[in-house]
Amino acid sequence: MDWFYIQGILMLAGINLIAVLGLSLLTGFTGLFSFGHAGFMAIGAYLGAFMTVSPTTSPAGLGLPFAVGVIAGGAGAGIVSYFIGRITLNLKGDYFCIATLGFGEAIRLILNNVQLFGGSRGWPGVPYKSTLPAIIIVDILAVIFLANLVRSRHGRNMIAVREEELAAQIAGINVFKYKMIALVVSAVYAGVAGVFFGHYMTFIQPKMFSMTKSTELTIIVIFGGLGSISGSVLGALLLTALPEILRAFEIWRLVFYGAAVILIMISRPKGLMGGMELTPAGLRKARNERKARILALKESKNGQNGEAGLG
Amino acid sequence: MIQFLQQLINGLSIGSVYALMAVGYSLVYSIMSFSNFAHGGVIMLGAYFGFFALTLLKLPFIPAFILACAGTTLLAILVERIAYKPLRERNAPFLYFIISAMGASILLENIVIATIGPTFRTYPPVIPRTPIQLGALAVGRLDLIMFFISAVCLTGLILFIEKTKMGKAIQAAAYNIKACALMGVNTDKIILIVFGLGGFLAGVAGVFFGMKYTVYPQIGNITTKSFIAAVFGGLGSLPGAVLGSVLLGTIETLVAGYLSSQFRDLIAFVILIGVLIFRPSGIMGKTTVDKA
Amino acid sequence: MADILEISRLTKRFGGLAAVNDVSFSVPEGGIFGLIGPNGAGKTTIFNLITGVYSLTEGDVRFRGKSISGLPPFKIADMGITRTFQNIRLFKNLTVFENVLTACHLGASYSIIDSVLRLPRFRKEEKALFKKAENLLSIMGLTERRDLVANNLPYGMQRRLEIVRALALDPTLLLLDEPAAGMNPDETEQLMRLIVRIRDEFKLSVLVIEHHMDLIMGICEQIVVLNFGIKLAEGCAADISKDPKVIEAYLGATEEV
Repeated sequence: MDWFYIQGILMLAGINLIAVLGLSLLTGFTGLFSFGHAGFMAIGAYLGAFMTVSPTTSPAGLGLPFAVGVIAGGAGAGIVSYFIGRITLNLKGDYFCIATLGFGEAIRLILNNVQLFGGSRGWPGVPYKSTLPAIIIVDILAVIFLANLVRSRHGRNMIAVREEELAAQIAGINVFKYKMIALVVSAVYAGVAGVFFGHYMTFIQPKMFSMTKSTELTIIVIFGGLGSISGSVLGALLLTALPEILRAFEIWRLVFYGAAVILIMISRPKGLMGGMELTPAGLRKARNERKARILALKESKNGQNGEAGLG
Repeated sequence: MIQFLQQLINGLSIGSVYALMAVGYSLVYSIMSFSNFAHGGVIMLGAYFGFFALTLLKLPFIPAFILACAGTTLLAILVERIAYKPLRERNAPFLYFIISAMGASILLENIVIATIGPTFRTYPPVIPRTPIQLGALAVGRLDLIMFFISAVCLTGLILFIEKTKMGKAIQAAAYNIKACALMGVNTDKIILIVFGLGGFLAGVAGVFFGMKYTVYPQIGNITTKSFIAAVFGGLGSLPGAVLGSVLLGTIETLVAGYLSSQFRDLIAFVILIGVLIFRPSGIMGKTTVDKA
Repeated sequence: MADILEISRLTKRFGGLAAVNDVSFSVPEGGIFGLIGPNGAGKTTIFNLITGVYSLTEGDVRFRGKSISGLPPFKIADMGITRTFQNIRLFKNLTVFENVLTACHLGASYSIIDSVLRLPRFRKEEKALFKKAENLLSIMGLTERRDLVANNLPYGMQRRLEIVRALALDPTLLLLDEPAAGMNPDETEQLMRLIVRIRDEFKLSVLVIEHHMDLIMGICEQIVVLNFGIKLAEGCAADISKDPKVIEAYLGATEEV
């Protein structure tokens, strides 16, 4: 394997990671499942391309710098998600899932039918702007932003929504608002990922952003472990690299993939990290939790009943 | 007017096959409260079973049809046993079921691609293509048969649910499966039967879709439509699933006929979004109240 | 003393069925008020109506003189009403400390930008939140279990943690939904002392639903009896226990059980 090939895999993994981190906030920390985030990636990819593609090619763009494309792609996806959130976030569990699926597919079908951006034939001529250092920098920023958000009262409120929505409301948490923040942030992440994806592939087509792509992102989040940022990072690296490494088995790799997903669900549903973080603070926390559990177990074994001591 | 009637008949026949799929979805949803995304894979394999029974085994149409349905019945039960039963046993939240279902769907689709190949296959011409003339109307034989058999299957299913003891148990489980288990009903058996029934109807739908269009590994994606139809009619309600499917099939055909075939797929999602905004419980669904 | 909560002509219908029908009562400030009645009498529904979980069909709920009907639950919590649940609803996968810390959030006002950039305001307020949570745990004797995941707590402690989490919101009215469910007489006794203690220490008013008559009769200054969604009787413990209508309702209920 030459460096060029490895670099390609790393770039794809890094791009996936951006989207996965956003979805991790929505799914892992806030407990909302989406099967439509490829739609936000599509919005990012197309808006980004519209900004950077040269005005002389067809379909034409504005020929602006890449940075403008990144900002526009992220912001565009965020704004669309806000309006989608307004009408879907009040829906219960499964229905929200279905609604995101519907919106994701609708975005794809609209792009398919709008000839302005090349329709279903796609849009060639997107400039090659995604470099590995740029992707790594965005990944690092994305992780820091997310980690700091999650470890604040805002993040705790989102986790409370995931854990027990009704109790969260009774604890004075504006459930709708925090679901909305999680959705918009995750959509901005997906949008930015879409911009980088388009400027890596140099060609975009609506069918790249189908439900399969959305599912893939969700599966990575679950594989890494819900509520764990380090899990999402590991998951994105492993699950992007794995199919590439399995290329030798070409046609069988997605069979393994499907089987692996079922296997994870039925055998290790908490994913790789199971809500733990691979950081000094995260490990300390896990250790304390274990200690407390052992202590509690000992106490209840010591004959006294564990429920005594009220008042 | 003639054109409109023609489109209407097409729409009804497609809608009735959507209904076969949507009913399978809805049955599982009503009992287990999750969207069984693997249903599309079962339907796809039904189309293949029928195809190979006709071409490789050279069976006549009716035995091939029955064989395909038997195959999907077993397959649906197998999926349940492997992908959902372990989750049921530890009371996993619904999202795990959904992801497991996604995994099963990916698995089924790609097993077919890896073993049979991604090519499109056409059913042998079992049903003559020549339409039947009803006055000025030309009705496809296949469309008529599809509509008729679907109607028979759906009526049979509704009679089974309404009239038999097992059907009553399924209704009770749909109402409250935990209470059923406490009352001594064998819920495992109910779930088995529900998946079996869904699988059987998936086989019928699969064969029809194979005959109407072609057979290919992604044909299962068409279940997104039946799924939308089930939401349209009211998730978990069988009459709702049937009504939603027939309406969706008809609207789609009319849109394709009068506006543009490009909007055909889009209209389904527009309906989905409209329903979710204005009436998430669907046409026939009941609004539920959360117990605090 | 003034009434902190006034419920007037409260009605809730589900379909055609009235779960709560024309119920009125007032909870005096600083009091411990009991709500009793057989199963299905509409007690928990009243809690859901007060806290905004259900929208009421008719009537009005006034808190400190202001109508709160129609407000969303989080606003009502913000105003100072909070509750526990009959079937415990903790943040199950979080530790004891995190459960309480999360509920302390109303004491801080830093923004998302403050938290993402870790600005001084975030640090200062976050420190205060941690301190408040630690403090509550120590007052309520849960410090030793600080790092235990809530799900692994013994049942009685889970109930207590739910009360601590409610207290973290600095409520002025605390609603307890069957706090003694599943407890033995010893534990119930301790719980009674705890309720009186937090009323005095945190200066709040308490409205409690309970089946344990000892608890209700022991600590409630005023009691309302409900049956089939209708108010059957209201008065002090001594009067209630002598009321023939109440005795009949309860005898009927015991026969069913």
